[in-house]
Amino acid sequence: MSDTAVTSPPRGAGEPASAAWVFLRRNPAVARLGVVVLVFVLWELAGHTVLDPNFLSPPSAIIQAMPRVLGDPGVQTALQASFIELVIAFVLAVVAGIVIGLPIGLSSFARRATLPLVLLLYAIPQVTILPLFVLYFGIGAGSKIAFGASHGIFPIILNVIAGVQSVEAAHLTAARSMGATRLQTIHRVVLPHMTPSLFTGLRLAMSGTLLGVLLAELYVSTGGVGYYARIFADSFDPPATFALVAMLALMAVVLNETVRLAERRASFWRAHRH
Amino acid sequence: MAPDAIAVATVSHAYAQPDAGVVKTLNAVSLGVRKGELLCLIGPSGCGKSTLLNIIGGLVPPAAGEVRVNGHPVHGPTPKEIAYVFQENTLFPWNTILDNIMVGLEFQGVPAAERRERAMDAIEAVGLTDFANNYPHQLSGGMKQRASLARALSLRTDILLMDEPFAALDEQTRTYLGEELSVLLATTNKTIVLVTHSLSEAVFLADRVVVMTARPAEIKATIEVKAAHPREPSFTTSSAFSDLRNELYALLRSEIEKTVGGFVGNAAARDRERRAVAGQRDSVIGRAR
Amino acid sequence: MKTAKFDWQARAIQAAFVIVVIGLWYYVGRKGLVSPIFLPKLPNVLDKFVGIVQSSTFYGNLGVTLFEFLVAVVIASTCGLTIGYLVGRSRYAVVVFEPLLASVFAVPLVVFLPLFILFFGIGFESKIAFGAAYAFFPIALNTIGGISQVDPRFVTVARSMGASERQLFRRVLLPAALPVIVTGLRIGCTIGFLAILGSEMIAGLRGLGSRIVSLAEGMNTAEMFAYIVFVIILAMILNVTLSQMQRRFGERREVA
Repeated sequence: MSDTAVTSPPRGAGEPASAAWVFLRRNPAVARLGVVVLVFVLWELAGHTVLDPNFLSPPSAIIQAMPRVLGDPGVQTALQASFIELVIAFVLAVVAGIVIGLPIGLSSFARRATLPLVLLLYAIPQVTILPLFVLYFGIGAGSKIAFGASHGIFPIILNVIAGVQSVEAAHLTAARSMGATRLQTIHRVVLPHMTPSLFTGLRLAMSGTLLGVLLAELYVSTGGVGYYARIFADSFDPPATFALVAMLALMAVVLNETVRLAERRASFWRAHRH
Repeated sequence: MAPDAIAVATVSHAYAQPDAGVVKTLNAVSLGVRKGELLCLIGPSGCGKSTLLNIIGGLVPPAAGEVRVNGHPVHGPTPKEIAYVFQENTLFPWNTILDNIMVGLEFQGVPAAERRERAMDAIEAVGLTDFANNYPHQLSGGMKQRASLARALSLRTDILLMDEPFAALDEQTRTYLGEELSVLLATTNKTIVLVTHSLSEAVFLADRVVVMTARPAEIKATIEVKAAHPREPSFTTSSAFSDLRNELYALLRSEIEKTVGGFVGNAAARDRERRAVAGQRDSVIGRAR
Repeated sequence: MKTAKFDWQARAIQAAFVIVVIGLWYYVGRKGLVSPIFLPKLPNVLDKFVGIVQSSTFYGNLGVTLFEFLVAVVIASTCGLTIGYLVGRSRYAVVVFEPLLASVFAVPLVVFLPLFILFFGIGFESKIAFGAAYAFFPIALNTIGGISQVDPRFVTVARSMGASERQLFRRVLLPAALPVIVTGLRIGCTIGFLAILGSEMIAGLRGLGSRIVSLAEGMNTAEMFAYIVFVIILAMILNVTLSQMQRRFGERREVA
């Protein structure tokens, strides 16, 4: 344990180390990539030797299966549908969340009266009411959108409220001293102030929406992505299952990163505050 | 004459910084600390005083040279011989004062049966008996440093290293604690190395003051303070005190100038410029009215 | 939450909201405005609730879910704490591994559920594995964070007093990191429980989640409602218990 996060003295020279090791120490990102590559290589090797091909297939087999799975028009339709549901659910959650959160945040009384109710609803484990969504909205896109939006709406409401509350009293006083009306104050002070918080909400709402929509998709196994996930698993076709899961994961990563990027852009002035 | 308690022989130190290359902090420093004396290290900010202290304590290895404590070379911490008081509050926030001191004794290897009594003795010595079961955050800054001192005393080492122990405190508190420390240490006969920024503190507490140069630090001068311990507060108003203080400042001044760089040299010119600009602005405002 | 005076206006609105919802539910059922398949009558749900608490089916399913949950939590904590500690102790390992774990956790793990079912079947094994996987990440990430962010001064002090590696861990690293680690355990347990319920619902034979689904498929909405109410109560009990645990062990005494 010579190199520990907390006890390491400044490293002097005289450490016998190979050039490769020094390079990796200086470039942790390369080491990180190396770990990923290593995992895939081990997986590939294991796939050809010890693993039962009925359960786990090596990465090469998954890549080979990609065109077959993604070429299937049914799978294409299902993945497209999932993507559209995700986007719609996210937009719905954001719009509804702002519409609900803004008035609650702006009035102290509304906040005291309704925030406990919002938190109570948020505390309900939403997975348990998934069958209700299917019951009310059917097995089509409706239930998936509704379930996704119901996951995404709470982070938006709570972050909008937090954002409005984070407005500094001095800025409000300053605006009032210059004769700003209530609308002008909201437009010029409150909204800019809550932008970073709102984007934090957007990021959390995106992961909520992803969770909700994908849960519902997998739950409804008579159509869409859930259907193919079940078919591939039932027919012991691991490469196809992996390919499908990889596409869903890719979709999630792309949507997550888009929102995260937007958040970083919008929050630039936060760093200058402290 | 007895051999030195601490012998620092041509110790150098340097560290690598990503953008600044190798920064040399200590340049072949040699120093002897006599048994039972209080030695102050004083020098400009960042000159390497604390590094020297950490090398003596074995917390930082020297790049070259050697430190001997009680005759044997130092490689790593020697908790049986050396106790520390650090600059900032380093009491564990999750332990009470008593537990903080007892855990230190546990680290040092004191048998469990003795720990409580030794800890309480040390707490009493610094006058914190009533606060033994309080948590650090419930104590004032001065009390926390007293508790840190108690922790160091409880280890019953011959040598005490103090790294700007009062730096984080306000002026009055540090003066008061300095007076208390002088009384306390007069009775313990410990060998003490104290790093400080304060000229008054150095003169008031030390038997010898070692003045260090700007980085890479060397020893510039050593000044003896010949006054008996414990020293009375009236010592600070004596002419001997102010003479020593002035002498120290004179030695330090040029080193501080080296550290702070061009700023001191240009300050007068910049000040003139600023006043000129301010004057213009005043006249503009005057006209507008 | 300490307010000087009781905020009766706000409380009244909250109470009114709950009363109106329940009243409306009762009224709609009474008048038969909505088919009981969509919204069962309130008294029916209460009857069923009393009924299920006395039935053995219920306890069987409850036992399965709790068993899966406990095993998953034990696995996730063991792995999460061990890996978190090992990574957290080395600054280099933190830089290499922490972003990897964080980015895997950023993907909604539910997309991997088909793989868990593929490997472990539709029995309790896949639920345990899925729950453990979900719970693992917050526990490991918080342990890494807690251990790696211990104030280095505390370690220096302990070393100066001669602390051994074991003492350093027991007396410094663990107590310093505990609040963060306990938070990780709380989050891990919560989402682990939800992951188990979710995986039972999507592909399960037994457990509370599967029971809710089979009732839904049988259009036995009243009993399904009763089950849902019970699971919600269970989740809230879990939540309160975990919050208590966090308050007990995780309270951060102010680091000055």
